[in-house]
Amino acid sequence: MTKERSRYHRVLQFLRIISQLAFFTLFFMLLLRTHFPGGDYIGNVEVFFHFDPLLALTTFIASRTFFPAFILAGATLLVTLFLGRVVCGWICPLGSIHQFFSFLFKKTKLLRPKNPKTNRTVWKYYVLVTVLTGTLFTLNVVGWLDPFSLLTRSFATGVLPALDHTASSFIGMLYRINVSSVGDVMVQFFETLDINPTFIQGFFLAALLLGIILLNLIRERFWCRYICPLGALLGLVARWNMLKLEIDGDKCIECGLCTRQCQTQADPFPNDEWKTSECVYCMTCAALCPTGAIRFPLKLGTRPAATVDMSRRKLIFSSFLGALAVPFFRLSPHKTRASEKLIRPPGALPENKFLEKCVKCGECMKVCPTNGLQPTLAEAGPEGIWTPMLVPEIGYCEYYCSLCSQVCPTGAIKELTIEEKTEVKIGTSWINKNRCIPWTFGDPCIVCEEHCPVSPKAIELVKIEVVQPDGTVKTPLAPFINSELCIGCGICENKCPVVDKPAIYVTSVGESRSERNQLLLDVIKQGGSPYGH
Amino acid sequence: MKRRDFLRDVAVGGLLLNVRPGLWARNSAALPDMAVIKGEQPALLAKEVVTALGGMNRFVGRGDVVLVKPNIGWDRTPEQAACTNPEVVKALVELCFDAGAKQVQVMDNPCNPAKRTYVRSGIAAAAKSAGAKVPFPNDHRLKKVALGGEWLKEWDVYTDFIEVDKIINVPIAKHHSLSRLTMGMKNWLGALGGNRNQLHQGLDRAMVDLAAFFKPTLTVLDAYRILHRNGPQGGRLSDVTLNKTLVAGVDYVAVDTMGASFFDLTAADLNYLKLAHERGAGQINLEKLNIDKRTI
Repeated sequence: MTKERSRYHRVLQFLRIISQLAFFTLFFMLLLRTHFPGGDYIGNVEVFFHFDPLLALTTFIASRTFFPAFILAGATLLVTLFLGRVVCGWICPLGSIHQFFSFLFKKTKLLRPKNPKTNRTVWKYYVLVTVLTGTLFTLNVVGWLDPFSLLTRSFATGVLPALDHTASSFIGMLYRINVSSVGDVMVQFFETLDINPTFIQGFFLAALLLGIILLNLIRERFWCRYICPLGALLGLVARWNMLKLEIDGDKCIECGLCTRQCQTQADPFPNDEWKTSECVYCMTCAALCPTGAIRFPLKLGTRPAATVDMSRRKLIFSSFLGALAVPFFRLSPHKTRASEKLIRPPGALPENKFLEKCVKCGECMKVCPTNGLQPTLAEAGPEGIWTPMLVPEIGYCEYYCSLCSQVCPTGAIKELTIEEKTEVKIGTSWINKNRCIPWTFGDPCIVCEEHCPVSPKAIELVKIEVVQPDGTVKTPLAPFINSELCIGCGICENKCPVVDKPAIYVTSVGESRSERNQLLLDVIKQGGSPYGH
Repeated sequence: MKRRDFLRDVAVGGLLLNVRPGLWARNSAALPDMAVIKGEQPALLAKEVVTALGGMNRFVGRGDVVLVKPNIGWDRTPEQAACTNPEVVKALVELCFDAGAKQVQVMDNPCNPAKRTYVRSGIAAAAKSAGAKVPFPNDHRLKKVALGGEWLKEWDVYTDFIEVDKIINVPIAKHHSLSRLTMGMKNWLGALGGNRNQLHQGLDRAMVDLAAFFKPTLTVLDAYRILHRNGPQGGRLSDVTLNKTLVAGVDYVAVDTMGASFFDLTAADLNYLKLAHERGAGQINLEKLNIDKRTI
């Protein structure tokens, strides 16, 4: 009996790490490139999402429409069907993060692999069933848990803004110690990275990612083992794959190292307990085995393998839970009256359709050139948490920009050309005459009018008379909204010199996508809506 | 080299270097106060107006660091006439380098994001192709500066506009609802940071104070395409007329006065010009000026 680790599998393990690094870098670079590209149209920076069969499935069931780009998810399914969950082990960027931190926690002795013989891996299947049942009733909340959505959202609204903040503090220090030449170069560099620094919920969304990473202190790849609904879906597909673990009984010394060190609790030893649906082919066991007894031979034809013990009772319970949860997620006053603050991005489908498709990934928030798109909290009801809304006080909707509609991976925001976009109305502007400088004090201003991008302008100026306390009369030009011309972009609100609470503000009324959230009958242009209602 | 030779060379060299500006100073009486030239090509017009005033050597010396300040305020194309014509900017950058400038920087603090306006206006590409630096406004370089104005005492200014040897203002002529027109003197709001929108509460006075503070070496007013309505950013081509004229002069008040005539307005219609004239910043009576006005 030779006591020798398998060189071949150690090379494979190394290649796996290289692959994870490469795909994580690709994911990160694409995310970084999700910003104003210096032109009107951006490439397929959201392509990772289209390889995700979970998003494809849930948006398909929830919206009852198939978004063509999701054809790519078929590739992931095919790979998984034949080779098992290699996507989880070799490609998934969130999986790589978990694997990295699990490794780190083990090296620092913060995590000691424990006896894994539990059946908790079944949790994620219940999560999947719950989510999928919801989609039958058009409730699509998979975005909270889908790994690509989760990672993109956390990075876009939390991690990257924090990095940007760190960088600008560092740059500020450079200027204070008079190394401004280095500072200048760094400022221009970060300007090209174009990271949106301000997100109302950035702290919480980043903290959530941190919490999920810290779960690796309890078990290696905790998220992938117990929670990830995409992993569960791929686990179901992987059942009949052709890469099955084999232990050479002659070599095996029954040390149990493989099972204890398994990243995802696939139980390699004993051989007939190995679960093909849990294995992500990270090669840890095969590389670690002191006698090189573990192999993954490619074999045509299926061979029965152990499965995760799913209790039928709990599966039925999960699906009931998924169905029962639906109405609770829809308890919101905005079902009867539109939310005034819910200014959706241009191209967003009518609210019901939008919620069926939006996967809360934050791509639109990352790409928004003014940082105006923010994750919602209560504005869109519970099911709409972390969907995008425009907050003009932070950033307005840029007139010649349709980037959010181009990067939306599911078509929740209908892709628009620049010409189409300028025709879309996302809300209507209002003047708070009690705060407006000309209306209140009689002093000149016109800042909102000068910034209004439509031509002719949606803000007209009227000469008004404002009686002063001493009886004199001032006659400034004061803004007057033409609600028919106003597209609700919010630049007026953003630029209003009343800096704390702007004297002009946008609400969602009049948005092209809604039939009911309208102001005046004559505002509805006949056949003018790109959404065909 | 002997010490004596060296001293002699320095003396002679210094004299030689001094000769040209001296000659110009003597000739300047013969030079026009303002050039108003009409023609087909913006770049040619830019070169012609500067030549008419005595050439760029009169304004830019060897080794100078020059800042060219166009209006890059809006996310609009050159045809929409909200930003300075990029060909004019490029021609001026070239002239500066020809006159021996060490470095030419083109920048503006726009209303829409600089990343957009720099691109769509065509100015960043044009200026870079002529060798200029086109940095984005950098808030770390903002500094509260005593402006010494009658109304505007101090404000945040990008130091790029201060730490230069020469500054050339290249505005475009447009409609504006508050100052009625925006040309050279209004262009200085683009050098400011902070809540500059609040300056609208006393815009005319702010414009006069800012222009006096920045006091450009030369103002070249782009009136090739002028925006008549919906200023200062317009949008429709029907708001724009082809005027095909460039104006240049040292007296920035006179240049804006000339610009007003393209809109059938006079200094009497523009409060800020009256104010500037009262302060002695420049001439609003164009008849008192020697103007080189022609078509090429």
